Amino acid sequence: MRAGTLVRLALAGTRTDHLRTTLTAASSALAALALLAAATVLAIKGGADVIGPDGSYSRTAGAERYSSPYLHEAGLRPGVAAVFVVLSLLVLVLAGQCIRLGAPARDRRLAAIRLAGATPRQAVLIASAETVTAAVLGSVAGLGVYLLLRVLLDRRTKEGLLLLPTDLLPPALTIIGLLLVVPVLAGLAGAFLLRRVVISPLGVTRRTRSRGPLPWPGALIAIGFVLFQVPGWVGLGIGGNGWAAMLAVGGVVCVLGVVLGTGWITYTTGRLLRRFGARPAMLLAGKRLIADPWSGSRTLAALLASVVVGAAALGVRAGFVAQFDAYETMDGVSAGADEGFYLGGVDLFLIAVAIGVVISTAGTLVALTEGIVARRRSYAALTAVGVPTATLAEAVLWQVLSPLVPALLVALATGVGAGQIYNMSDQAATVPVGALGLLGGGTLLMMLLAAGIGLLVLRSSTDLEELRAG
Amino acid sequence: MSTSHVLLGLLAHGPRHGYDLKRAHDDRLPQAKPLAFGQVYATLGRLERDGLVEQSGQEREGGPDRTSYALTDTGRERLDEWLAAVEPPAPYVTSTLFAKVVVGLLAAGVEAASGYLVAQRAAHSTRLRELTAIKTDAQATVGDVIAADYAITHLDADLRWMQTTLQRVSELNREVNP
Amino acid sequence: MTALISGTALHHAYGPTPALRGVDIEIGAGEVVAVTGPSGCGKSTLLHCLAGILKVDAGEVRYRDQDIALWSEAARSRLRRTDFGMLFQFGQLVPELTAGENVALPLLLGGAPRKQARATAASWLERFGVAELADKLPGTLSGGQQQRVAVARAMVTEPQVLFADEPTGALDALAGERVLTAIVGVARERGMAVVLVTHDSQIAAYADREVALRDGVVDASGLGLRMSA
Repeated sequence: MRAGTLVRLALAGTRTDHLRTTLTAASSALAALALLAAATVLAIKGGADVIGPDGSYSRTAGAERYSSPYLHEAGLRPGVAAVFVVLSLLVLVLAGQCIRLGAPARDRRLAAIRLAGATPRQAVLIASAETVTAAVLGSVAGLGVYLLLRVLLDRRTKEGLLLLPTDLLPPALTIIGLLLVVPVLAGLAGAFLLRRVVISPLGVTRRTRSRGPLPWPGALIAIGFVLFQVPGWVGLGIGGNGWAAMLAVGGVVCVLGVVLGTGWITYTTGRLLRRFGARPAMLLAGKRLIADPWSGSRTLAALLASVVVGAAALGVRAGFVAQFDAYETMDGVSAGADEGFYLGGVDLFLIAVAIGVVISTAGTLVALTEGIVARRRSYAALTAVGVPTATLAEAVLWQVLSPLVPALLVALATGVGAGQIYNMSDQAATVPVGALGLLGGGTLLMMLLAAGIGLLVLRSSTDLEELRAG
Repeated sequence: MSTSHVLLGLLAHGPRHGYDLKRAHDDRLPQAKPLAFGQVYATLGRLERDGLVEQSGQEREGGPDRTSYALTDTGRERLDEWLAAVEPPAPYVTSTLFAKVVVGLLAAGVEAASGYLVAQRAAHSTRLRELTAIKTDAQATVGDVIAADYAITHLDADLRWMQTTLQRVSELNREVNP
Repeated sequence: MTALISGTALHHAYGPTPALRGVDIEIGAGEVVAVTGPSGCGKSTLLHCLAGILKVDAGEVRYRDQDIALWSEAARSRLRRTDFGMLFQFGQLVPELTAGENVALPLLLGGAPRKQARATAASWLERFGVAELADKLPGTLSGGQQQRVAVARAMVTEPQVLFADEPTGALDALAGERVLTAIVGVARERGMAVVLVTHDSQIAAYADREVALRDGVVDASGLGLRMSA
């Protein structure tokens, strides 16, 4: 196969395919930007606490030109970097959702190309070419935005201190490596999702039904909790690389547990709706949920990840507050500036989470409307046999919300649990019910908004004209 | 089907003599049984007697005299009547194949009738292939193709009937002697 | 005559459901063979196994004296591109590519230069009377036109064997006849073997020979009878 052929076959696609390409590129740009920001923060040297032999306190040189303590204190920078890494992880989950957009049509196209004699490798090449090219272009665009922001945000305080580290770049190799993260992951994910077409060109048409998902991914949440404890057990210093890595891995495992567990939640909700559903819409929704239990995981992944992280941050914040209160009562001294500093750090993190929730709601909206559009013929057929549009709309709402609510509760609980373990403190921090309610309620509200927009799409999809198409 | 109506139809485009009529008949209805000369002349005689055709001239081309015949107005009316009359759709089932299978089932039993059906199916399939070959031949005329289509459709109907009958009989058999 | 392609004691099951339960079949070079039987008898599965699209659970598929059932998926894909042509009832054309590109696809996948591939494709489209449709998308063509484009694509690599699964199932009688006549014409002209899967005796009559299947085994009677011989 020549390069020209590859380009032609990779670019052949419908509007959905182009939307997927655009979204992949956009999320790749965002992820690259967040990762570059993290790397820049980590590139700052100096600012470590040094206690001299005479007991005098000083800091190593190199970071004093920055105004913000989050930048000039070596112990705080990993935390700031972690905020950006978490943000990029959320964007990556979103990118993963985008790869699934329009997947049935693309699988059919690739199967047709396979039947025309393409080898499995060629099929993967054609499919990955699109995703990887989009991801590379997105990464490069992310680098461009990053370089532009360095110039635009190059501000100093009156004292001549830099607000942001716009004066230094991460090492060239690190930059290249970070730019490749999304393209490589996207390529691997694409190849994995194509496995059915790769094994057999008929893979798409003949699908064996498997039984529903099992709840074992829930165990991952427990494993994540254990991982959080490890630094405490082995005595890893707080703020060190090992500590950060352990927390990151534990976080990813917990999020995976919640996201994969949603498959079981979706399936079980579907079965309950079918068994106890009193309204036609509930039966319709139940049937859909059972037919595609992973739809919940796909559409809600980024959202649930944000909620887990957000709930954890709220838990940590509550821990800090409890600790400061304890100091106050014990010493009668207010932590004052320190308190504001720590809470400010967590609040920074919470802003990142809020951005994550908004981004992932957008992703959910895309996935939701795509799902409705993909099944427009069966919706139109249901309308044709006399199912009122109102019933269909209700079914879509049931379908979105009934697995969402339990999944959301699990995500919140997981986050709170993780936060409590992190605190490890002797001070039993009260669970910040109000703030968690705000997070959960806000997320639910965003999803209602997304479902509402999805219903608008449904209205045009139940047009009987759709039955004639194709 | 009556030969006289076919001859009337063949004369619709103008006078022809007997030999010409036979050729035209065999050409247009290629898979039908060929017409004998005697039959052509006998039929023409009857048609003339009834005033449906008339002699329209003599012609001599190095052979015997040939009389050509033309359609009369009455003849054209009779032809139009025949063409407009709807054929009763299969009022009686008169096929030998049908009779044989029914009698075979009655007289010789399922086993023997089945054996007969298998042999008959093979013969039908062979004939179906021959007709398809005629149809797909690049030299085939429209007449050939239309005639082959007619025969193919009927053979196919026979084949399907044999299949269904066999299934029906074996199901009945299973119900009677399980 | 030694067979060009043959299957011996072929078994295949979809999960717990057996589709082929020991089928033997031989097809010689240039031979047109119809595989017939009621729906669910395993005829499509047999075609997929012979063409190397499905892996057999047991038995061997020999093509030119090699057991292709043992080959890797990639090797079988290449064989399908070079030696086999594929024709299905519908859905085989890539909807996002034009008719001309679809026909050129097997050549392009094989690494042929674009210009040459398009020229070869154009000559095959011409042969089946659809040359003027080269720049149209499949969705804008009638069923008969799509199927003739599909035949052109199956022929473009000048295969040794054409596998056709109900190729006229979605067409009216005349459109179907045109497609079948085209296939059989090329087969006779180039000595290409054809495996024609159909449930219709009229279509099976285009073949030289018929192999009837029933419940995953060869049915010698053609009527679903257990033959003692």
